Amino acid sequence: MTTSFEQQRLDRQARRKETLRRFTGHPSLMIGTVILLLLVAVALAAPWLAPYSPTRTSLVNTLQDASWTHPLGTDQFGRDVLSRLIHGTRVSLLVAFWVVTLSLVIGTIIGGIAGFLGGWIDRGINVVNDILMAFPGFLLALAIVATQGSSLESVIIAVSIAYTPRVTAVMRSVALTIRPRPFIEASRSIGMTSTRILFRHVIPNALPPVIVVATLSAASAILAEAGLSFLGLGVRPPIPTWGNIIADGQASITTNPLISISSGLCIAAMVIALNLIGDGLRDALDPQMRRQTAKIL
Amino acid sequence: MSNASKILLDIRHLSVAVGDVQSKTPLIRDVSLHVKARETLAIVGESGSGKTLSFLAALGIAPNNVKVTAGEVLFEGDDLTKLNPNELRARRGTAISMVFQDPLSALNPVFSIGTQIIEVLRAHLPMTHAQARARAIELLERVHIPDPHRRVDDYPHQFSGGMRQRALIAMAIALEPKVLIADEPTTALDVTVQAQVLELLSQLREETGMALVLITHDLGLVARHADRVAVFYAGSVVEQAGVQDLFHEPRHPYTVSLFRTIPRLDSPANTALTPIVGQPPNLAQLPEGCPFAPRCYLVKPDCGSAQVKLVDTTNKEHLSACHYWPEVHPES
Amino acid sequence: MFVHVGRTLLRLIVTGVGIVSVAFFLMRAIPGDPAAYMLGDYATKESISALRAKLGLDQPVWRQYTLFLGNAVTGNLGTSVVTGQPALQEVMASIPSSAILAISGLLIAILIGLPLGIVCAVRQGTWIDVGVMLGALAGISFPVFWMGLAAILIFSYWIPIFPALGSSNAKDILTQIHHLILPALVLGISIAAYIARLTRSAMLEVLSQDYIRVARAMGVSERRIIFKLALRNAMVPILAVIGVTFAWSFGNAILIEAVFSRPGLGSMLLKAILARDYQLVQAGVLILAFMVVLINASLDLTYTLIDPRLKAS
Repeated sequence: MTTSFEQQRLDRQARRKETLRRFTGHPSLMIGTVILLLLVAVALAAPWLAPYSPTRTSLVNTLQDASWTHPLGTDQFGRDVLSRLIHGTRVSLLVAFWVVTLSLVIGTIIGGIAGFLGGWIDRGINVVNDILMAFPGFLLALAIVATQGSSLESVIIAVSIAYTPRVTAVMRSVALTIRPRPFIEASRSIGMTSTRILFRHVIPNALPPVIVVATLSAASAILAEAGLSFLGLGVRPPIPTWGNIIADGQASITTNPLISISSGLCIAAMVIALNLIGDGLRDALDPQMRRQTAKIL
Repeated sequence: MSNASKILLDIRHLSVAVGDVQSKTPLIRDVSLHVKARETLAIVGESGSGKTLSFLAALGIAPNNVKVTAGEVLFEGDDLTKLNPNELRARRGTAISMVFQDPLSALNPVFSIGTQIIEVLRAHLPMTHAQARARAIELLERVHIPDPHRRVDDYPHQFSGGMRQRALIAMAIALEPKVLIADEPTTALDVTVQAQVLELLSQLREETGMALVLITHDLGLVARHADRVAVFYAGSVVEQAGVQDLFHEPRHPYTVSLFRTIPRLDSPANTALTPIVGQPPNLAQLPEGCPFAPRCYLVKPDCGSAQVKLVDTTNKEHLSACHYWPEVHPES
Repeated sequence: MFVHVGRTLLRLIVTGVGIVSVAFFLMRAIPGDPAAYMLGDYATKESISALRAKLGLDQPVWRQYTLFLGNAVTGNLGTSVVTGQPALQEVMASIPSSAILAISGLLIAILIGLPLGIVCAVRQGTWIDVGVMLGALAGISFPVFWMGLAAILIFSYWIPIFPALGSSNAKDILTQIHHLILPALVLGISIAAYIARLTRSAMLEVLSQDYIRVARAMGVSERRIIFKLALRNAMVPILAVIGVTFAWSFGNAILIEAVFSRPGLGSMLLKAILARDYQLVQAGVLILAFMVVLINASLDLTYTLIDPRLKAS
């Protein structure tokens, strides 16, 4: 008969295999991941992939139609649209990455503290969080960028601030459900400090729904950055971002629709990928989420 | 036991399977049983043995891709499996009714109890709202819910567990069905409330002459309230008998094993519990022959290829699916 | 019930104060001197210090805060540097146009999204379900301003049936509606995508519940089950989504108004930001946030009407 340790290890292996199977068996999750990986590859390879420098202007070649030398034409400054789109991938991915990272780190810790410690700490954090969530995300980002000036950094900060409260709220509510569980009491009774319990038990159990929210927030963040750049308040030219490329193309939309259309499609591709991943994660983790929260030490 | 009673519901060789055209997994195999007026038929078995699913499929309310593949379900001259959805729907609640296990989740939380009963009444009878409401109050009274005039407008969360179950029963008998199927009606309730609910069901049975099908895994309940019993295992009926016969002279190894798992008051202290060895079967991968063979203490070489069929044993009322039924001895 | 109303009001007040405070600190968070920022790069030292005195920026922060709060309560939100008019007045004047756009957008969204979501839930897994959900995915993934541009391209240039301008000064209602249609449609479709997705998942959740199974077992007709018994249960999460998307569409109003050159709160805000008319920006953000909070609070109260379990708490 196997020892209980052996049995536990075998169980864990079986569970991991099960989880992996659930991921790979989910078509939209796989599609989303593939698209995202493709975009990451494009972003990383941008300097080599793009046929021209994205900021190289040419007064002679303005507003060219699609051709062999310029597959998507040129904009009003003679810059190659395709190259700008390729480089724009970097900005979008950067925004997505930072927003997810910042909102995850800050939101998890603050939400975890609020939900786990309760009392007036919870109430205080909750009030502030509710107020921040009262503003529509895009608006909050807009207001912050309006005061801090337009740049990539301020966009990232603004969007992160705008979308972190959601993560905090989810983390907090999960922490609230975990707090009364017997195993927390058991952990305390063997002398675990609150901090350790928070990091070792509460947060790992709460990660699945939090990751789903963070992924979906990343999707909103990219749309927000695009919107801000479109309005001229986000990332400024000549740095190419899909949002300001759409803005560039607006003036010539009737003659060279390709500029705005293609950049919009790029945005949609990345947002769709993130949404597919977020939805897929939510489905794939759902029964597991419930089981995981039941599984303890 | 009434021997001249009419058979109300007659299920014959019913088979049910799940899945699509490519991969069908049989869930219920060749199940035959019947219920007579004024009697209580108990359906016993483990979870997943198919006891609930048989009736869900018979009534046409099984989950989406679960379909009847063979057999007939006869009620008052009609074969339910051959009716179209509308005809079947007309019979649900009026001819045959079902009460489900968990009364809290079985009641719609955003509507009052009265509204839900009225909904059921008006789905079948041409009543005005006022008439239906009056009838709803009558029904609540019948199931002994105090102060029905006020309670009829209350919401499910305002009722206690036992009262919710009564309210469900009120809904189920609203249209005076001939057969009432109670699926684990007491599992979610306290012991004292259990007794009350079963008393109520027996009383209603006496008053209306309806047949009661009691789906349960609680053998004590069966002993107290059932007239006849059908034992399910892995989607088939393995034994069917009058309750006395079943308890005194079980004729299937599974039934015997079930009885052995129940601790007895008269056994010596520190007697070990005797579970049934092995795991409950995976319906998708049933072995050839008798499904209980892998766990049977009486297993013989040809059990793995034998055709599973109910045969008469000591009398025609006592059927067993075990070919070696004469060798099945109850523990003395 | 009254306790609930009282509690909601209290939350409203607290959130209101919070919003005002956030707006206050937003202005003070400008790196450097707000007055210099507002007057631009070519301002003279004298004009800057004059503005500082006028805005009370030379006072200690806590004094500024209480002054600001007091002013906000009485409706004094400063003056627009550009037009010289009271900021609050400017903001309120710009609201009707945005409100018309937002409300028509929302109506279109509900009319399209809600039934589609229900159909998808009832016909789960069929081609209709897959098709509509793919469309909805696109609807939430394409930037709304891009959809506006595409709409203009298609319906104002290629097939000229709608004007590209989102509003008109004409006196008659029909022309105004004609100009409203395209922006409202674009807004409506983008919101409808969210509503369809959420209605579908809420209905699926409800339809899998035991009490629906019981209703079926009792012979209640499928139509009754879907439209009365199930829908009422799904309404709470659906309303919540509608509230959230309504608030979110206020954020998008800026983008739509920019694309369609339509006057309103959004374009006023944008112009103020670009002109560094900060008092106006502050006032605009404040009022906008207030409206969102008010909508959410009233939605909160309607939940109790739908879900009797909430009345008890």
